[in-house]
Amino acid sequence: MKQIVGVADMKVSNNPGESIITYSLGSCIGLVIYDPVVKVGGMLHYMLPDSSIDKNKAAARPYMFADSGIPRLFKSAYQLGAAKQRMKVYVAGGAEILDQQGFFNIGKRNYMALKKLFFKNKVMISQQDVGGNVNRTVRIEIATGDIYVKTSGSGEVKI
Amino acid sequence: MISLQDLVSEVKNLQPIPAVAGQLLAVADNPDSSMADIAQVIQYDPVITASVLRTCNSAYFGMKHPVESIKDAVNLLGIDQVIELALIKSGSRALGGSQKGYGLEEGDMWKYSVSSAILARQVAGRLALKGKNTIFTAALIKDMGKIVLEKYVSDAAHKISDLVENKHFSFQEAEKKALGIDHAELGALIAKMWKFSPRMVNIIRHHHLSDETKSTDQQIAAVYLADCLCMMLGGGVGSDGLAYRFKDQVMKDLGISAVDMSLIIAEFGINMQEVETLLQMA
Repeated sequence: MKQIVGVADMKVSNNPGESIITYSLGSCIGLVIYDPVVKVGGMLHYMLPDSSIDKNKAAARPYMFADSGIPRLFKSAYQLGAAKQRMKVYVAGGAEILDQQGFFNIGKRNYMALKKLFFKNKVMISQQDVGGNVNRTVRIEIATGDIYVKTSGSGEVKI
Repeated sequence: MISLQDLVSEVKNLQPIPAVAGQLLAVADNPDSSMADIAQVIQYDPVITASVLRTCNSAYFGMKHPVESIKDAVNLLGIDQVIELALIKSGSRALGGSQKGYGLEEGDMWKYSVSSAILARQVAGRLALKGKNTIFTAALIKDMGKIVLEKYVSDAAHKISDLVENKHFSFQEAEKKALGIDHAELGALIAKMWKFSPRMVNIIRHHHLSDETKSTDQQIAAVYLADCLCMMLGGGVGSDGLAYRFKDQVMKDLGISAVDMSLIIAEFGINMQEVETLLQMA
């Protein structure tokens, strides 16, 4: 069974028969977490760094933003028995258009928002594939915690 | 290099966008047109009319009584929505299918096109720009050059990816270098052959703003910005990825801030359901 994480969406699972996938990350970020002991995995696909730009949309769609989505992803995994100190953390996406600078570089800002939140909460990134000008599709298998990335124009690669 | 003659004969073999689209734009963006004028243009094309009515009667709109004419549809949904539906229906056949040379599977380009058009509508609305239907349609059909160019891009894939990955070319610049023409120029040629207005031809030609002086043209700038936002959002993006140039100047010319840009993205996030629904019904 394949659980699909849409844009501004999140899924967690402890079902070893399942994989979780999100398609076509551009400047959005796909955050994948996995606890190998209890075999609990989760994935978040957020679009923007900061929910303060629109509180109403953040209330309706908390997974749209880094600051409102990331804590919810971790809490949902904890509810299935995952523990923070065992969590493997993988980050993909945050791509940018050529010459995209400063404030208009949403991809970089999306990544910085995550880094800031992780620094404050002492979360380490295990591996990442961020930035550049490519589109990425990410998948995790719950049984093994194996993560696969497909970049636009090439095949799926296990990381 | 590809000969222009070859391209022209290939364009002649394409499934064209029905003429009703161009006629509809001419009346829809004319402030002197009445609703009856607009309805009449749509009714003139029975295939588009049937398709619009079928969509209006789908569960998505939840109508209590069947919608039996374009006039009914206008009364129930409003003129703007009926125009957009007719334009979307006009584009769906030409822009469906796969374009393997760009790494686009069946339906990817169509998804990207509809998403771009909806983003362009948001940009036009936020800035209260003139010619909103022209902007919407240009965003919808701007990549049609890819339909013809894809096989040449496929043949030149190594050269193009070398230029993009190692020599700092944008994908469009690499197309031009490797093939002598890029998808924006070819799209403009197709629009011209299909008798779209000079305005539409011009927007399509400049939709990546390779000529930066065009950013003062608000319709071009809006379509360009919507395309950038769509690339960043990622749905339906091919192997060209985000390898196009971002021009800060556009943001200044349009008077759009980074916060505006984020708000447009957030609004689109809420509208995603609409995109999916439109895609399924097209």
